Amino acid sequence: MTAAQTIRPTVVRSDFIKSAPTTVEGRLRDRAHRMNRPAQEPDSELEARLISQIAGGDEAAFGMLYERFSASLYGMAFRMMNDAKEAEDVLQEGFTYIWRKAASYDSSRSTPFAWAVMIVRNKAIDRLRTRQRQERLHDKVTTEGSFFQEKDETSADQPSVRERGALVRSALQQIPPEQRQALELSFFGGLTHEQIAERLATPLGTIKARIRRGLLRLRDCLKEGL
Amino acid sequence: MIDESKQDLLVQYLLGELDSTTADKVSAEIAVDGELRDFAHEMEEAFASLAYTATPIAPPPELPQRVLRMERRAGQDSRPAPRLRMIWLAIPWALAACLAIACAVLGVEWASTQKSLISLREKAGETSKELGLLQEKNAQSESKLAQTQEALTQSEKELALLRERNVLAELKITTLKAQIAAYKGATAVVIWDRDKGSGVLQLDKLSPAGPGKDYQLWVIDPKKPQPVSAGVFAVPNEGLIRTSFHPAVPVESVDAFAISIEKAGGAPKPQGQIILVGR
Repeated sequence: MTAAQTIRPTVVRSDFIKSAPTTVEGRLRDRAHRMNRPAQEPDSELEARLISQIAGGDEAAFGMLYERFSASLYGMAFRMMNDAKEAEDVLQEGFTYIWRKAASYDSSRSTPFAWAVMIVRNKAIDRLRTRQRQERLHDKVTTEGSFFQEKDETSADQPSVRERGALVRSALQQIPPEQRQALELSFFGGLTHEQIAERLATPLGTIKARIRRGLLRLRDCLKEGL
Repeated sequence: MIDESKQDLLVQYLLGELDSTTADKVSAEIAVDGELRDFAHEMEEAFASLAYTATPIAPPPELPQRVLRMERRAGQDSRPAPRLRMIWLAIPWALAACLAIACAVLGVEWASTQKSLISLREKAGETSKELGLLQEKNAQSESKLAQTQEALTQSEKELALLRERNVLAELKITTLKAQIAAYKGATAVVIWDRDKGSGVLQLDKLSPAGPGKDYQLWVIDPKKPQPVSAGVFAVPNEGLIRTSFHPAVPVESVDAFAISIEKAGGAPKPQGQIILVGR
């Protein structure tokens, strides 16, 4: 059965069809206000099931998954691209990929959120590399201090997202600054190990160790937090 | 226990930094090694969790519908109607056939062009060779012309010399000597041009002939029975006199010149006294 043959007419949700404000800032504010939806606990099994349904061409499942992931992914994309329009394009490309490749998702290898994050991040990196915006972004890292925010500035409309964000930020505070910086440049800057080493004028082996140790510390902190 | 270098490799694999060959090897190892798989899973989760540190932003609400609309359109575009499908299927073959025909035509054209090109090159070579020969001949001709002109110039010079010599050879200079003591102080010189049949008479210190008398010059031609008159001339004083003359009749050769004193106006043949003679 193909996606085209299983289109259901009841997919469109009321919050999907609201008209958008004319300015980007206005749109962002408007969206933030409209995020007062009922809390939904993150449930990897539920999300994995949604992906499975998407693989079968279920547009409603696609809408539900979008609702669960899109705020975080859009925020991440915006942080990486530093441009609302481009972040939206990245998000669209990411969800197009999810729609097309849902069948390739392997729950034994990663959680749905991690899978979606890696997809959108890769799309953002493709654009960053294509448009050579890394310099500007990295300058931003060095001049403005950090990609990671010290506190959650959002209205935290999804409690699960807010809690997870707080947990990760707390975990990051326990990581040495140089490890945190290497992780920032890798995740949001889209830089490879070699590029980070070059940018920081630090041996490649040191950068590898920083990223590895940073991820291990983060993993441990998250495990403890969970 | 996974060593650190392996852990680094796994992290780079998860971040998509490995080349395809190495990535395939790592992927194969993960597929068969549970410990590696678990570690990769944990690292990916930790890495992906960084996304939570970004400020969540309300996404464009219409984006899922936009994605689905585009996917429907792409699906329709990729599935042509059955009738059209045959056309679509035929298009690649038609294109291939057109390409083959075009290749064949181009091949023939190319071969023909090559042949023409070779022929033209051969002709150009021959023409070039002929041009070289002609240029060589032209150079030789120019050299010969120069030599000829030089020879001509030389000949002209020689001819001029010869003519000059000839002119001199044609001239006869004769000094006339007094036959009478009274005219011992007088001098007379005749320059005779055989070619022109005329001459110049120069007199000096010759006293006037006297009333009713004139001096008359004679040309003695051995082939003529009588001396030929070359004219009369008056001598007003004993100064230098120069006058040209022409014999009354053409003479073939000159043996001598003579001056006589004749009655005024001269005589057809010498009648008076011969005073000066020169051979």
